[in-house]
Amino acid sequence: MKIDFNEPKVKTFSGPGKREENTPQPGHSGHKWRNIRWGVLLFFNLLFFVSFFMDIQILEGSLSGSRLLGFHLIDPLAAVQVILASRILVINLVIGVTTIILIYVLFGGRTFCAWICPYHWLAELGEKIHLLLKKKKIIKNHSFDKNIRIYFFVLFIVLSLITGFTVFETINPVGILSRFIVYGPSLMLSWVLALLLFEVFYSRRAWCRYFCPVSVSYHIIGLATPLRIKWDREKCSNCKRCQQVCLVPHVLTNSVNKGVALYVDSGACTRCGLCIDICDDEALGYGLKYLDNII
Amino acid sequence: MSDGQSKKWFSRRKFIKTSTVAVIGGVATVGIISVPVLRSERLLLRPPGALAEDTFLASCIKCGQCLQVCPPQVIELAGINQGFGIGTPHIIPRVGACILCKGLPCVLACPTGALDHQISEGKEAEMGLAVISRPQTCLSIKGINDLVFKLADLEEIKSREELSVELMHIITKLLDRLTAKEKHSLKEQFDLIGMEELSAFDLRDEVMKDNLQWFVDFVKKSEQAKRGCRICLEECPIKEEQTIRFLGQKSNSSAKEEIWPIIQKTCVGCGVCEEKCPTAAASITIVPRLKWTGEAERNNLLPISR
Repeated sequence: MKIDFNEPKVKTFSGPGKREENTPQPGHSGHKWRNIRWGVLLFFNLLFFVSFFMDIQILEGSLSGSRLLGFHLIDPLAAVQVILASRILVINLVIGVTTIILIYVLFGGRTFCAWICPYHWLAELGEKIHLLLKKKKIIKNHSFDKNIRIYFFVLFIVLSLITGFTVFETINPVGILSRFIVYGPSLMLSWVLALLLFEVFYSRRAWCRYFCPVSVSYHIIGLATPLRIKWDREKCSNCKRCQQVCLVPHVLTNSVNKGVALYVDSGACTRCGLCIDICDDEALGYGLKYLDNII
Repeated sequence: MSDGQSKKWFSRRKFIKTSTVAVIGGVATVGIISVPVLRSERLLLRPPGALAEDTFLASCIKCGQCLQVCPPQVIELAGINQGFGIGTPHIIPRVGACILCKGLPCVLACPTGALDHQISEGKEAEMGLAVISRPQTCLSIKGINDLVFKLADLEEIKSREELSVELMHIITKLLDRLTAKEKHSLKEQFDLIGMEELSAFDLRDEVMKDNLQWFVDFVKKSEQAKRGCRICLEECPIKEEQTIRFLGQKSNSSAKEEIWPIIQKTCVGCGVCEEKCPTAAASITIVPRLKWTGEAERNNLLPISR
């Protein structure tokens, strides 16, 4: 295939859009949704901790599997691995996964990542350091294929089937971190630390963006949920600052670059609200696809 | 776009493509190759109801709910050296043994059935088997009374609080074993004649008043001191059936007969005996997953497999 180098691949107002990884421009300090989100994230992780530490038994377990007021909640990827590795179907797993699916159909798919996952929060802090180092030209960012996490999702499911072990759960930084919060430190934290260092010095927020297979199950759920980021074509001045702060910038392409999607249509969107906070035009907000018109 | 820019763009595309293949291929290879390596050979003592080790490792979702509901709080999560066992529950009996709680809450809490819901009572568990792993130190075999042994240890204790706690343990056990006549002489010695039932608290307080040496001599002379240690059986949470029998065997070294604790089929491997064994290193230890055979009954001299 002949590649035409003269044809610009990056266009500003059509095509994939300009996505230079700059920090947001000065003059905007709204952090409303980020603060709410961090509050929710810390609240739930703290709830895991106090449920055990103070024995109040509201949210028992860790992020791979827990009971909320006695109702089973099970991470879908962990459940699939357990079922395929052990070749035993336990009804609790089905109940737990169904409950999780129902919850995230209501609250929007990868909401789990931005609003619950403790690794995501560390990664956000790591990203700030990464951007600072990059601004001072100490490091360079490296991108990977964002589909790797989908390949990983399939790969680890296949691995659990052929090896008979829940291979991914052994290295799952979400589970390791969640167990650390509830039960105290273990040496496995060094793996989480290594991941963070990789993100800070080599590739911006790499685990969540490119590698994490846990996010894929929530990605799939997110395709079916009404809760989405809503885009107002009339108000938007097309400044693209939303894409600069977006945790998964490609999800906004169909809206702010192509102008064809009034609701962010990608399952990869984490509903984090950073784009809403940054938007001076008030063109972005939370909305309910299919339901906004009815209500 | 200038030539330099497009070259940069091209190399970035190339990096993304090659890195994808490298990452996926690398992880798949490491994933498959690491399986036999990461399968830890060392067996851990699992909570009651645990499925066979490989199925258990496959079923456990590493959520820690068994740990949360454990009344004696003895379940711990395995660390980085446990291969695929990272984050799975296990028990270190010498630190804190499973007491086979009524209703087995850990089994009920398990969401994946890695702890099998089909067992409902402690005596149905198959955690492992106790073995006399250090017969050379076992007090029963040496014919030493456990309370006399423990009293000898008290001399090392400096702090008064610690002494008082240890003494309380010893006195509580002692009162269960003393004959009526011996109890009466204790009452006389400490001027407690008026009391109907000799209380361990009062006796402890009296012994603490500089009467320790007299008390040690009294215990040594008591009828029960003629009997060797049987702590392992006394503390065993399975009371319905006898889990350990004490049988006389001819000694290898001397003409004297030795009393050997012989582990019975009813032992489930909970580890309470290992926790309570009074010797410096437990003389009786649990071998996880070991099944009872007649062989083990006749000669339970099994090596410690760890």
